[in-house]
Amino acid sequence: MDHVLQVTELKKSFRGHLSIGVHHVLDGVNLSVPKGVIYGFLGPNGAGKTTTIKILAGLLFPDAGEARIFGRSSTDRSVRRRIGFLPETPYFYDYLKGAELLAFMGRLYGLSPSQLSRRVPELLETVGLKGQGKLQLRKYSKGMLQRIGLAQALIHDPELVILDEPMSGLDPIGRREIRDLILSLKEQGKTVFFSSHILADAEMLCDQVAILVKGRVVQEGILEVLLGSEVRFWDVTLRGLETFSPPSGCSVLTHRGGQVLVRVESEETLQTLLDKARAEGASVRSVMPHKASLEDLFMAQIPGGGT
Amino acid sequence: MTPVAITPRLTLVQVYAIAKNTFKEAVRSRIFYILLAFAVCLLLFSFVMGLLAIGSLRRVILDMGLSTIAYFSAATAIFIGIGLIYKEVERKTIYNVLSKPLSRSSFILGRYLGIMTVLLVNLVAMTLVLAGVLASVGAFTARIFPAVGYIYLELMILSAVALFFSSVSSPVVSAICTVAFYLIGHTSSSIPSFLVPLVQSEFAKRALLLLYHVLPDLNLLDINNLVVHDIATAPGFAVRGVTYTLLMVAVLLLASSLCFKRRDLV
Repeated sequence: MDHVLQVTELKKSFRGHLSIGVHHVLDGVNLSVPKGVIYGFLGPNGAGKTTTIKILAGLLFPDAGEARIFGRSSTDRSVRRRIGFLPETPYFYDYLKGAELLAFMGRLYGLSPSQLSRRVPELLETVGLKGQGKLQLRKYSKGMLQRIGLAQALIHDPELVILDEPMSGLDPIGRREIRDLILSLKEQGKTVFFSSHILADAEMLCDQVAILVKGRVVQEGILEVLLGSEVRFWDVTLRGLETFSPPSGCSVLTHRGGQVLVRVESEETLQTLLDKARAEGASVRSVMPHKASLEDLFMAQIPGGGT
Repeated sequence: MTPVAITPRLTLVQVYAIAKNTFKEAVRSRIFYILLAFAVCLLLFSFVMGLLAIGSLRRVILDMGLSTIAYFSAATAIFIGIGLIYKEVERKTIYNVLSKPLSRSSFILGRYLGIMTVLLVNLVAMTLVLAGVLASVGAFTARIFPAVGYIYLELMILSAVALFFSSVSSPVVSAICTVAFYLIGHTSSSIPSFLVPLVQSEFAKRALLLLYHVLPDLNLLDINNLVVHDIATAPGFAVRGVTYTLLMVAVLLLASSLCFKRRDLV
């Protein structure tokens, strides 16, 4: 498979205050991101996601290991022509106007003024900032800054887009718009690598994920494979029962006003439960199968997360 | 959109973009105009002082005017220069810039050229005011232009010093070090002319001369007194001044780039 990004045994540590003590942030990170996928880089706060991303963006230098993008070292600045990068909580020159910022960033990629005169309004519209390009960035809200950050990451139409917490600080509408934008980038054949701790967004978007815990990748792969297709349990809602004793292998979650919610662990028990309920004159209101979620997978990897 | 190859032309475009942005940053800040307005007020005040000093109108205006330009330009250079790199790192605006296909040396050079453009505009504005004041009393002399040119050479060095310190330390430390450089630069010439003749020991004389050659000498670029008293500069003064400036700037920018090249932007 054609990989656009490969990280091998990446290590990074920082010295403490007054150079006392060493804090190991990355402890041998390994990643492979195939072309054209949406790749979620997940992990709890302090796991090392931003440090890894900063190494990919050429802002930090690794102590050991390497990060290769399009087959070249991440420290090679020529690879950055093909990458769009959005830092975590982006900070911009607040004295610039939105359109000025995009033009400035575009010039750093070598875009000509005529290319920029087309690209800037187009991108402002794409990220939902049409008509806001003449407003100074100091007057932008947090959500608007996140959008202009995304626009500057896309100004040169990159092949790989690296986003550090792109949904951070956005309201539900903003999050949905960014999700749609990420999906449209995939449709255009781009590879999107993004970090997040919002698992619901990641589950909706990602083809592949890696879970980083304490500077090491503890799970990596195709999301569907990692989650599996098997149903873990069923929630059954029954009606018309004043008293009910469930068969073994079932547990009653709630019993209120003749309505019972029962959790069933196996398919055989489910059949037994449904037969018994019908025999006792109950009506089956719903049978809800539950597969493993990304949250389940995530929590299982975090020390103490499964408790 | 095909990615543009990294060529010397792209590097020039990037340096120009950084310089332009640095210029915008300065001219859109209020402090720039406050400093400029204060300097212009002092230049106009030199006219009043000249009227009070009967018979020395031209000399007083020239002396006060050129000194005002030199000190306010130096203050602006230090004030802007000390934050050129540090503030970018502190405010994290640098993440967006250095994640582009831009070398850190180009970034340093762009920031430097940006501040030099700001100082040039500042200097031209103040020079025009001084020329206007002199012309209004019929004392205009074209020698203010070379004097201001030398002030600009000094600003080139001072800005490079401030930029260097900004790339390795905080604004407070940078300000202290740059002001110390400025003061040493304007007093070091007294070592060979004043201190050396006072000492008897040959060893001490040599040690003092060695110290003088190690320290910066900004008086090599100061012709304000010569202009005020209408004295011609020595032959070769300009060549020596320009060479000294270019060497100092090259060394300081190279040192800034080397210090910044492998720095982690945490």
